Amino acid sequence: MLKRSEVKSLISRFPRFEDNTLSMYYGPRMPKAMIKETEEVVALARKFKEEVVRPLYLDLDRKTHEDLDYIPEEVVKKANELGLYTMWIPKMFGGKGYNMPSLSFFNEEVGSVCLGFANLIGVHYLGMAAVMMLGNTRIMKKILGDVVAGEKTGNPCLISYAITEPTAGTDVEEVDLEARGRLVCHARKVDGGYILNGSKVFISNGHLSTWHTVYAYGDLKRGADTKVALMVRTGMKGFSFGRHENKMGQRACPASVLIFEDCFVPDELVVLNPDLLKSFTKQSPRDINMRHIDYVFSLSRAGVGSFGIGAARGAFEIALKYANETEIDGKPMVDYEWVQCRLAEMYANVRLGRLAYMESNLANQHRGAYNLLQMKPIYYYSKYLPEMYFKMFVTPLLNSRMANWLMSKWYLDWQKPEDQNLTTGLASMAKFSCTDFGVRNCQMALELMGRAGLRHDSGAEKVLRDAKLLQIYEGTNQLNRINLFKSLISPQASPRAAFFEE
Amino acid sequence: MLTALNKDLKPFEELITSFSKGELKPHVEEHDRFPFGTLDVNLIEDAFRKIFDLGFLGIMLPEKFSGIGQGISAMCMMLGHVAEVDASYSLIILTSSLSQQIILNAGAEEIAEKIYPSANGAREYLIAFPSFTDPGQATILPQASSGRNSYTITGKLDYLVLGNFSNWAVLPARTAGSKGYSFFLVNLNDQGVTKSDPIFSLGLHACPIVDIALDNVSAQIIGEEGQGQKYFEMTSRIMHVTTAAINAGIMRGSLKEAIEYTKEREQGGKAVINWSEVRMLLANMAIKSKAAELCVTQTCKAIDENLKDWGWISIASTLHVHDLACDVVTDGVQLLGGYGYMKDYGQEKRYRDARQVQALLGSVPLKKLALINEHVA
Repeated sequence: MLKRSEVKSLISRFPRFEDNTLSMYYGPRMPKAMIKETEEVVALARKFKEEVVRPLYLDLDRKTHEDLDYIPEEVVKKANELGLYTMWIPKMFGGKGYNMPSLSFFNEEVGSVCLGFANLIGVHYLGMAAVMMLGNTRIMKKILGDVVAGEKTGNPCLISYAITEPTAGTDVEEVDLEARGRLVCHARKVDGGYILNGSKVFISNGHLSTWHTVYAYGDLKRGADTKVALMVRTGMKGFSFGRHENKMGQRACPASVLIFEDCFVPDELVVLNPDLLKSFTKQSPRDINMRHIDYVFSLSRAGVGSFGIGAARGAFEIALKYANETEIDGKPMVDYEWVQCRLAEMYANVRLGRLAYMESNLANQHRGAYNLLQMKPIYYYSKYLPEMYFKMFVTPLLNSRMANWLMSKWYLDWQKPEDQNLTTGLASMAKFSCTDFGVRNCQMALELMGRAGLRHDSGAEKVLRDAKLLQIYEGTNQLNRINLFKSLISPQASPRAAFFEE
Repeated sequence: MLTALNKDLKPFEELITSFSKGELKPHVEEHDRFPFGTLDVNLIEDAFRKIFDLGFLGIMLPEKFSGIGQGISAMCMMLGHVAEVDASYSLIILTSSLSQQIILNAGAEEIAEKIYPSANGAREYLIAFPSFTDPGQATILPQASSGRNSYTITGKLDYLVLGNFSNWAVLPARTAGSKGYSFFLVNLNDQGVTKSDPIFSLGLHACPIVDIALDNVSAQIIGEEGQGQKYFEMTSRIMHVTTAAINAGIMRGSLKEAIEYTKEREQGGKAVINWSEVRMLLANMAIKSKAAELCVTQTCKAIDENLKDWGWISIASTLHVHDLACDVVTDGVQLLGGYGYMKDYGQEKRYRDARQVQALLGSVPLKKLALINEHVA
């Protein structure tokens, strides 16, 4: 038939076969124990959603409409008691070390009842991912250590991710736009740290978080090249909360305004700035900035994809229940073909979307940010070594310059551009496809249910309200389409394409 | 667009736009908080005093009952303009018109005579109606029993629009003697009527909706016993297009706000409106919005000219407009990004309202099936 070299050449043409069938290549490479571990996560999520979320979520949503200042602190306390804020923190930082891709399934399960609840937990891990992808092990150890301590003392310690600004949303998610955007968060270098001024908006869990990963800019006119990432703690002088927004949905999870007025952030809380970059890379600050953004969003957009499928599934389950319990002209609704066809389509949307976010996870596992922890030896060592070992040997190393250098190198310098493209492109695909599926299924459920779906107590109208935000945050679905073109299509198949219409 | 075809409507249009902007617009966000917030049913009465005084509530009511005696075009024009500002008020007007039409189609002139000419204020004039229900599709309806001169009704009725506001309601109920259901006029202040708290729904919040339970409530039959389905079909056939007019108004509002915002807001150093994908989204919204207006206008024309298939045209174009509306309001939020999702802007309300409007007069799939059943019959 064909020579091996010929096969290789043919399958590497656009669309490159391996990149398009990740499940075939990478599924078998997954450590077996990860599957068992993921089953445990799904079971736990199902228990949590039935025992905690479902009895509460509609009343909670109603409460947020009655009292616009209401913030669900007791729900966060409960999740903290159940250990949900340390489940996905790696063991070397004192967490329970569940594999990160399993978080998507957790998101979907909880999100299928209430996206607000799912965000109260999921967004915390977005904050964690942002800290980790900056590669500073000393700060990771400090912040994640606080989260672990917060679980022990019963005072939840959550992490938020603060990048959106009042006049710049999409701009802060893409360096070419960041370079031209109207930025407001300014970091001025002073002796021993930075003085931070400006504000951030729509910060999920802001009011509920203790630590905030904040991006600011040394020069607001040259944002893309002068980004400074800092950790700000609630209560620090010069840092305060503005109002929390009156959103259409996902109301259990507050979206906050963060205000910085001459807020001094000491050097030990500066995660990254253009000077620190020089210690481990020769690449330009702008390229590293984009790489960091891409890596965080490769994780978080797969996560939003799983929220989208949570919404799609929630809508499907509500519609199915309605169809099972309702009659039309004396005949059960589910006996009608037109009802069966619509429910089948909703079910298919859920499964197709799940494949999309799983594919994105596989890219992250084998070609992206999870690759270190998912290598079989490292995975099994960290799964089965006793906690003592981590405390004695690994944890002390995290403060060392060497560890810092290695992590920064690993995450920000050594990753290959083609892997960066694959992971960010697939995450964008999962994000916009799954969230579009989510809104579509909500629409179908409402149409099927008529006036029954309009009532708050049906739950159907709430999913529709909640789902819409998914098409907007973590990059609008338009930006994500452009990012897909830029990273999955253009490099091989449209190399002359220019981006962001300069 | 309707006024372009029918110049007589111009004075009405001016009155209704100035009413919407002057009386409704300042309160949209606060009224949308109902059943929470500060809006209560008395405020609704205040808002309606003026529109009642202007006589707009009887826009389709014949002059002999002190109405204005206009046709479907005037009604659609009015509902569309009100919906552009706050569609909740369109639902209030529509609901009272549905009751009126049932009464008129049943030939129950004595009831129209009893209520409309002497009504003193909106509570007496606006008659509650289950506007989201096609009673023929409902599995359970209240039961009416006949006495010597009158009827009494017992049972539950869900989702009665204006049920906790109006003095009167037009309700469907079954009777022992007939296969089909009948319509009745019920005094909602009767001791036997129990009303739930206002129902918290997806959209159109400022128009209150309740569930009611009736226990031996005396009722007056509207038209003939067992003929409810006939009166409802006569009514819905002409009134479907008014729900399309509401959604066309919502779409206009959504497009307008999207254009205003994208002109103001910058991204990547230039106005958002100058990015080509944004223009494409706006173009799609504009196409759908204009097509919707055309559907409404042409349907009104078909009805006014008594075109052969006008009933079929009315429901088909209405279902199409609802489809378009749900797309447009979704993109309308999208174009404002995070701000579109916040209650400070009008887009999230339109996203909710359009879907609520879509469910008027029965669920979408059943309306579709009714349409094709009628066509192939």
